[in-house]
Amino acid sequence: MDSKHIESLLEKYWNCETTLEEEQQLREFFKSEVPESMKDVAEVFRYFNAQQKQQLSIHNFDSSITKKIQQDKPKGKVVQLVTNYSRIAAGLLVVVAATYFVRLEVRKAYPPEIADTYSDPKLALEETKKALLMISNGFNRAQKEASKIKVFNEAEEKIQGKSLEEVETKI
Amino acid sequence: MNLETFENRVLPTKNKLFRFAFRLMGSTEEAKDIVQEVMIKVWNGREQMAEVQNMEAWCMRITKNLSLDRLRSKQRRVTDPIEQGMEIKNETLTPHERTEIHENMQRLNEMIAALPEKQRQVIHLRDIEGYSYNEICDILELDMNQVKVNLFRARNTVREKFVKINAYGL
Repeated sequence: MDSKHIESLLEKYWNCETTLEEEQQLREFFKSEVPESMKDVAEVFRYFNAQQKQQLSIHNFDSSITKKIQQDKPKGKVVQLVTNYSRIAAGLLVVVAATYFVRLEVRKAYPPEIADTYSDPKLALEETKKALLMISNGFNRAQKEASKIKVFNEAEEKIQGKSLEEVETKI
Repeated sequence: MNLETFENRVLPTKNKLFRFAFRLMGSTEEAKDIVQEVMIKVWNGREQMAEVQNMEAWCMRITKNLSLDRLRSKQRRVTDPIEQGMEIKNETLTPHERTEIHENMQRLNEMIAALPEKQRQVIHLRDIEGYSYNEICDILELDMNQVKVNLFRARNTVREKFVKINAYGL
């Protein structure tokens, strides 16, 4: 190949103006013996060529990869556990539960008024009488017990009276 | 995408993916890891990739993203030039080439490894893998202008540091 041609190609090459085909021409040219002045450039192209020969040195690479990918069974379809509907449902559940507990608390704080327990007025009267009688019995008993307190009063009066007499006699 | 398409269109990209990951990570082991991860990722995401036209560029893009993620999570810089030198010596060259070129190769390796991240990516994709500018835009998620600017700077660094110095006899 004409060395003038090569030189102009090289100049284009350094300026990044060569096409792939032209670069291939250069590579081919520098594979054979070259003039002294181009020896260094030749080294660069030989280096590129040598690098391109480098290979992946793994024994049985292809078969080990195909084996690996065939073992990889397709992972089952991913099922979304938490769907958008279940999110809404969970929100509603929280609201319902909250209202239930709030109602419970409110009922404890304000017990409902006493409702009628008897439908028959006579029976109700009897029951009321019984209840009132029980209460009045209770009162009576309490009064009896309370009257015992009088003993203390009497005793106190007596003591006071005595001490007055003593004072008078001394005087 | 079925298994057959995967075997025909994705698996054959493995060497390119490996080289790209290696360029970014600077470690063979990590690059290997990343290539496997990319393969699994592509397979698992095969349904979204029904419309992807350029499967290879798509795989390269995933490789780039995974590598950068790893680099950032580790907060460490690339690269170990000595290891890269060993790589070339051991795996890619004939004994004759080895003795002749080894030293220069190592220098170029170090030089490219020292480039800023984007320049390194662009020069790798263009000059080593031979991608078109459009494909590079696609892989790196950059616009045309950025790709060209980065490539220009990367090539110029190589030219200035390697070609010119050697030309003047060091």
